[in-house]
Amino acid sequence: MIAKKTKFLSKFQEKLESGEFAITCEIGPPKGAEDEEIKSAGEILKGLADGVNVTDLQSSVMRLGSLTTCHILKEMGLDPIYQVTCRDRNRLALQSDILSAYVLGIKNILALTGDFTNIGDHPQAEPVFDLDSVQLLWAIKKLEEGYDLAGKELTEKPSFFKGAVVNPGADTEAALELQIIKMKKKIDQGAQFFQTQAIFDPEVFIKFMERISKMDIDIPILAGIILLKSDKMANYMNKFVPGVFVPESTSKRMAETQDKIATCLEIAAEITNAVKPYCQGVHIQALGWEKHIPALIEKIK
Amino acid sequence: MMGQAQKPMPEILESLEGKEKVVIMGCGGCSTVFHTGGVEEVDIMEEILVKEGKDVKKITLPFAVFACYKPFSSMFIEKHKKDFKNCDAVLMMSCGDGLQTVRQILDEDMDIVKPFYPAINAMGVSGGGPSKFMEKCQACGECVMGRTAGICPLTECAKGLLNGPCGGTRTDGKCEVDPEKDCAWYLIYERLKKIGQYENIDNFNEPHDWSKSVTPRIFEREPLDIHKHLARTKKVIESLGI
Repeated sequence: MIAKKTKFLSKFQEKLESGEFAITCEIGPPKGAEDEEIKSAGEILKGLADGVNVTDLQSSVMRLGSLTTCHILKEMGLDPIYQVTCRDRNRLALQSDILSAYVLGIKNILALTGDFTNIGDHPQAEPVFDLDSVQLLWAIKKLEEGYDLAGKELTEKPSFFKGAVVNPGADTEAALELQIIKMKKKIDQGAQFFQTQAIFDPEVFIKFMERISKMDIDIPILAGIILLKSDKMANYMNKFVPGVFVPESTSKRMAETQDKIATCLEIAAEITNAVKPYCQGVHIQALGWEKHIPALIEKIK
Repeated sequence: MMGQAQKPMPEILESLEGKEKVVIMGCGGCSTVFHTGGVEEVDIMEEILVKEGKDVKKITLPFAVFACYKPFSSMFIEKHKKDFKNCDAVLMMSCGDGLQTVRQILDEDMDIVKPFYPAINAMGVSGGGPSKFMEKCQACGECVMGRTAGICPLTECAKGLLNGPCGGTRTDGKCEVDPEKDCAWYLIYERLKKIGQYENIDNFNEPHDWSKSVTPRIFEREPLDIHKHLARTKKVIESLGI
């Protein structure tokens, strides 16, 4: 697959598909009509991150849009990965925004289902979920073929480097098998790379990677790394962040440390270095601690 | 059945503020099963409103007599025509379906136009009982359960996902939205195995056709022969020794 490709849609795709270890970072748009936060995070990540993931109203909290933020980052010379969730828009709006992204020069898309509305700051909002993440990838594939979901022909076709997510942290065989079944469906519908839910136990991730490689699933995977800022954050995530689990030993290290930043980066680097031989990259979620990413990258390169 | 719960009493009383003469009407269908508008609940509501100083007229519908079925409810409305005519407000102890059917009978057939207030919030097509119920159907107009082991993913999954569990599924296989509940796709997966259709789990399901659920959906049907059907019910009741 790699050898046949002559032209890459983005620098991120080129990095990932040429087999080099890729590092992407996440930027959460601000809750307000401003772009300063984005620009300062962009300045930090410029030249360091192979791709910048822009979240789409993450945790169902209303904020500046993913598409606009991707555009700003693109203008700054970064390679944005446009996260699109199915929670807030129906198939008309999703297809339209995807075409808009292409016209703005955004070439990487990450298709997600999206968190449910009840965890966010507008729990009264009507959750849409007109499409699911597999159907969203199918819709993008159709657009790339030159047709919309109604079968109507487009004047010009877009083309994207398409990603999806998978949660490797299932405790039961059934839960893990279901995640892999869904992962296969996403690949069938055009997913070209995956990023995982945040990893805190490298063993779980390694077990998952061995499992899928036995099934001949061969696709670039970026392991999710969250900067754990405190033990409180660990407790919060265990309680409220769907699909994420922080082991007690990790949480304890953050509780006992005198230097939270140093220990946080140490934990992130340890996890990254443990999973590095098994995957094609990491996806770092700094959650406001973007300024510490250069130090982390130093530790994992 | 239509799952339902009574509105908080302060909300009901607030809606009836300034209304002196109130007609309360219950329902012998789902509202009786859910204890929101059966004979007993209407009696209790009457007591509360009388204590509040209201002049109350009540209409109770016996079990299995639906307020939302015009041939049934119109018989009771006819008997209470005077009460409706004289009242300041109608408090409906039924779902929105019953409320609007009764409202329409008064508006269109009797030319009695009154303010209506709901005492109930309807909460979806639910089954089960006698004490525990769960919403089971979206009434979407395009049933998919033949592909999903007789479990509706549009209802059982809060996100209505048609192609497997979301990434928010808890590591123990429970739902992101309700940690007490098994993931709908886990249930579908297990049941597909049991009925020998495990391979269906791999199928790609295209987006759902929501055009079938554009509201209001309107139906034309041959009217029911009520006497014939009630005679059948009577036989069943007799066979039960009631």
